[in-house]
Amino acid sequence: MTVHQLRPRTPAESALFALAPAAPAAVHAQAALDALHREGLPNRRVEAWHYTDLRQLIARATSGAVEAGQADDVLAPLLAGSLVVELGAGTAPSGADRDGLSLAHTGDSADWRTSPNHLDRPVDTVRLLNAAFGATAVRVSVEAGTELPPIELRAQGAAAGAHGFAICDVAAGAKAVIVERLSANAGGAPFSTGVSNLDIGDGAEVLWIVDQTKSAGDTHLGQLNVRIGADARFKLFVLNAGGALVRYEVHSVTVGEGADIAIRGVNLLRDKQHVDVTTTLVHAVPHTTATEVFRNVVTGGTGVFQGMIKVAPGAQKTDAKMACNSLLLSDEGEFLAKPELEIFADDVQCGHGATAGEINEDHLFYLMSRGIPEASARALLVKAFVAEVVEELEHEAAVEALEARIDAWLELSA
Amino acid sequence: MPAVQETIDTVARIDVDQYKYGFETLIEMDVAPKGLNEDTIRLISAKKNEPEWMLEWRLQAFERWKTMESPDWARLDYPAIDFQDIHYYAAPKSMSGPKSLDEVDPEILRTYEKLGIPLKEQEILAGVRRADEPSEFGSEDDSSVPPSEGSYGRRVAVDAVFDSVSVATTFKKELQKAGVIFMPISEAIREYPDLVRQYLGTVVPVSDNFFATMNSAVFTDGSFVYIPPGVRCPMELSTYFRINERNTGQFERTLIIADKGSYVSYLEGCTAPQRDENQLHAAVVELVALDDAEIKYSTVQNWYPGDKDGKGGIYNFVTKRGDCRGANSRISWTQVETGSAITWKYPSCILRGDGSRGEFYSIAVSNGRQQVDSGTKMIHLGKNTSSRIISKGISAGRSSNTYRGQVTANRRAANARNFTQCDSLLIGEECGAHTVPYIEARNATAQFEHEATTSKISEDQLFYCMQRGIPEEEAVALIVNGFVKDVIQQLPMEFAVEAQKLIGVSLEGSVG
Amino acid sequence: MLEIKNLHARVAETGTEILRGIDLKVEAGEVAAIMGPNGSGKSTLSYILAGREDYEVTQGDILFNGESILEMDPAERAASGVFLAFQYPLEIPGVATMTFLKTAVNAQRKARGESELTTPDFLRRVKTSAADLKIDMDMLKRPLNVGFSGGEKKRAEILQMALLQPSLCVMDETDSGLDIDALKIVSDGVNALRGPDRAFLVITHYQRLLDHIVPDTVHVLYKGRIIRSGDKSLALTLENEGYAQIIGEAA
Repeated sequence: MTVHQLRPRTPAESALFALAPAAPAAVHAQAALDALHREGLPNRRVEAWHYTDLRQLIARATSGAVEAGQADDVLAPLLAGSLVVELGAGTAPSGADRDGLSLAHTGDSADWRTSPNHLDRPVDTVRLLNAAFGATAVRVSVEAGTELPPIELRAQGAAAGAHGFAICDVAAGAKAVIVERLSANAGGAPFSTGVSNLDIGDGAEVLWIVDQTKSAGDTHLGQLNVRIGADARFKLFVLNAGGALVRYEVHSVTVGEGADIAIRGVNLLRDKQHVDVTTTLVHAVPHTTATEVFRNVVTGGTGVFQGMIKVAPGAQKTDAKMACNSLLLSDEGEFLAKPELEIFADDVQCGHGATAGEINEDHLFYLMSRGIPEASARALLVKAFVAEVVEELEHEAAVEALEARIDAWLELSA
Repeated sequence: MPAVQETIDTVARIDVDQYKYGFETLIEMDVAPKGLNEDTIRLISAKKNEPEWMLEWRLQAFERWKTMESPDWARLDYPAIDFQDIHYYAAPKSMSGPKSLDEVDPEILRTYEKLGIPLKEQEILAGVRRADEPSEFGSEDDSSVPPSEGSYGRRVAVDAVFDSVSVATTFKKELQKAGVIFMPISEAIREYPDLVRQYLGTVVPVSDNFFATMNSAVFTDGSFVYIPPGVRCPMELSTYFRINERNTGQFERTLIIADKGSYVSYLEGCTAPQRDENQLHAAVVELVALDDAEIKYSTVQNWYPGDKDGKGGIYNFVTKRGDCRGANSRISWTQVETGSAITWKYPSCILRGDGSRGEFYSIAVSNGRQQVDSGTKMIHLGKNTSSRIISKGISAGRSSNTYRGQVTANRRAANARNFTQCDSLLIGEECGAHTVPYIEARNATAQFEHEATTSKISEDQLFYCMQRGIPEEEAVALIVNGFVKDVIQQLPMEFAVEAQKLIGVSLEGSVG
Repeated sequence: MLEIKNLHARVAETGTEILRGIDLKVEAGEVAAIMGPNGSGKSTLSYILAGREDYEVTQGDILFNGESILEMDPAERAASGVFLAFQYPLEIPGVATMTFLKTAVNAQRKARGESELTTPDFLRRVKTSAADLKIDMDMLKRPLNVGFSGGEKKRAEILQMALLQPSLCVMDETDSGLDIDALKIVSDGVNALRGPDRAFLVITHYQRLLDHIVPDTVHVLYKGRIIRSGDKSLALTLENEGYAQIIGEAA
């Protein structure tokens, strides 16, 4: 480790730190703020932030007009019948009193020092910011063997509540669907963060959906840390369809044999948006599997995908595949991908593929030759490109809801 | 564990003991005092009889270097290098400069003979290139092998660089007839100053990176090649680098210019004695291809890799870059990397000319405690440019092998095309294989395809080969050679045969 | 030539017992057929004969020409004359079939203390055998088994057998994936190799193959044991009555 030198703050950094609660109540929060002051925000020389120079880009969170977000009460949950949990509310919602479920607003601040996984993250900027901005923990526990209706986590109440910290324990054999709702920041809060620690017990199954539709001026930094037990299934769908500056990190570690990960995601970019999805999948034990597919449609702005598959020594028979496919529809947009493999075991099958390109001309011609006008044909092909990964979700309501989101975006961009 | 003795035997057999070029040539040397400072630079410049502008260039680079820090982003772990504890110049006493072959110290000639590089033209003419040796099966039927294959007894012009000086350059006269300039760069600086000044540092700027800047300050020798317009170089050109002196770094600089419509194929080989201490090699290679020109650059890198415990070995920090400056120009890098304790090397192409093409074919084999961080950059700037990357990494022993590559299509690089295939093979449980690609599409008409896989030699394949009577090590070599075949095919034939053997030797002892 | 004595074996990784005491003798010049329902241990037996490490012999012995081969690795067994025609021949990308054949032939010659074949000699042998099996020489320039059809793969196996001249040929479901014409070519290839010094162990599900390669003896393998032996008429009985009858009798 090199000795840290105090570096002068950039104006944007100073402006952001000034937004943090001045005298945080919790000791963790103060420590986090101190650490931030010491480390500063990462720039592109920090490999984990290679394409998202937060030190510069954070200016988006502290300057410019902030659009007022949609009021809370008109938001219908993504999936009908969901139990909506407001992370900043401080009290459990009505209807939370169900068999197999317990909800607790613990009041603990986000303890950024106890990293739930085995990742080498000396400075975990997202966690630090989340803690420094005073996020307090909500613990959602699903008891062993239960199957519950969907739970929707939200953190956009008051300005202070725009920083959510959720601890989700899904015990052995349970099944849960959890929606992380990232809608427009309310009350003029320009900046929001969210950290979730998800622990999936042996044989349990979790479908986690990130539904990100922030408004055009919002900055959001999110992080999902996942531990996956033996024979457990972790399914994740990430939809990014909004925001000015958005980064969503996924850090998972398999802790039991037979664990399976299926990640699918769609990133839709326009204008000057900067959207970064960074995933690190650690295969720490033998016999685990993972597939990860992201589809990106870019009409403007900068899209980033950093995907890392790590296979620890001894994690034999790991089978992990990752793909990142981008459709670039305009020279105003760019997509930057860094799909990495880090392999320390010999008996594994790992691979990644990345493509970038335009709409396939042959397909376009084929549709047009059948009488479909060019614009419709293009729209159809773009839709098909992203629909493919949505449809892989074995959850009818989720497929429908997400496709509706995507359709709305495509219509606006057409 | 019942296999204790077996384990010991396996470890004892690990490849690095197999290094065949670890001998030392005992010869009186003229060595500069240790340390990197202005005096050292002035001394090098004086030894080379350089013009003033060259000295100035070096001193400016040195000033710049003092402000720079050694890069730490690569996946390499080595102790900090004490740059003041190295000799920056060493030359055989008998060789104040390159002389005619008759005058070269016989000890040096013997050294090169031992390395399989005959420097006497009559010997080369007599077909020392083992024309009688049959090529490997299969490859001879392959249509994708370069057209030069099959012309047995082909001549290769050699520039032999021994520590800090070029000791001999063959076929100079014959090449001159075709207008081709092939000589040590130190000589070119004196004889063709305008040509050197026009191109030196234009591909790898003086301030490019820590090691390139250092090289700019202290480079000693290397080759200079100029192919005039429309000329197809009549023979392969080659430079053979040998580090011999203890505690000495080698800092060579190579500059190749292919003028409009010309073609050259250039080969590079390197070896060093087996020593306990690490030695530094920091080279810069610049290639310039003008309109419609083509440069093929092949390397078989076999520096001493260190022993089985990671003691000794060459630290190899190399900046290689080609500039496809002209329209429809083409630069192709092919490398077979089996040596060095540390390899830090990214032969790259700047695809500036419209319609230009860059290629990178690489095999990197690591064993013992070797660490490799190597790959390429393809920077698409011009319109309708294309690039192709085929990388095959093989890790064994306790080595670490990283592919790091960047493909960028700039906003104005309409219709840029890239295809990347990057495969890693692991042999044994204690090694690591990593892939770090940076894929940057900034243009809607760019088409990128990138694929990477990591796997091990399949037990089924191994069993199948053994069932046919092929012993295990040979079966591994056979399968590995299949794995690397698309890259081997890119090499000129002599190198292909050598490379195949080298890979076999490097992997010896890797199956327990 | 081959003597299997009370052979017990299990899957090394899981410990599942597959062979539960096989006794079998095959004399020089004999063609022995092993038949049996799915999961009876037929393929396992062929792998164990060839020395696959995934299986562990827990009891018994395999004698080849009077000597135990259990301690030999697959390459040593091959050099001593054991050949396995695989049910699913492996694809090895980048390795030309010709290169592979030459490497195998010469590795075995070397192991037996014979001199390596010269290239012209080797080519002559390949051409002759390939012609017999209607294998196009162009196919041999392609990487080993990569992109070969099912029939091509099986013919390539027989070509290897012809070139390596083993004394014991173990054929694991050679008829699977073959159409009638290919079956005929492959069988003719095998029959041409029959001789007083060579034995065959033909593993198959169906009588069909045995119409072409007529066995001297037929053995029924069930749950890792040979439950019935007989002459070629046993195969016909099985074809007509299925395995149930015999299994019932053995139980």
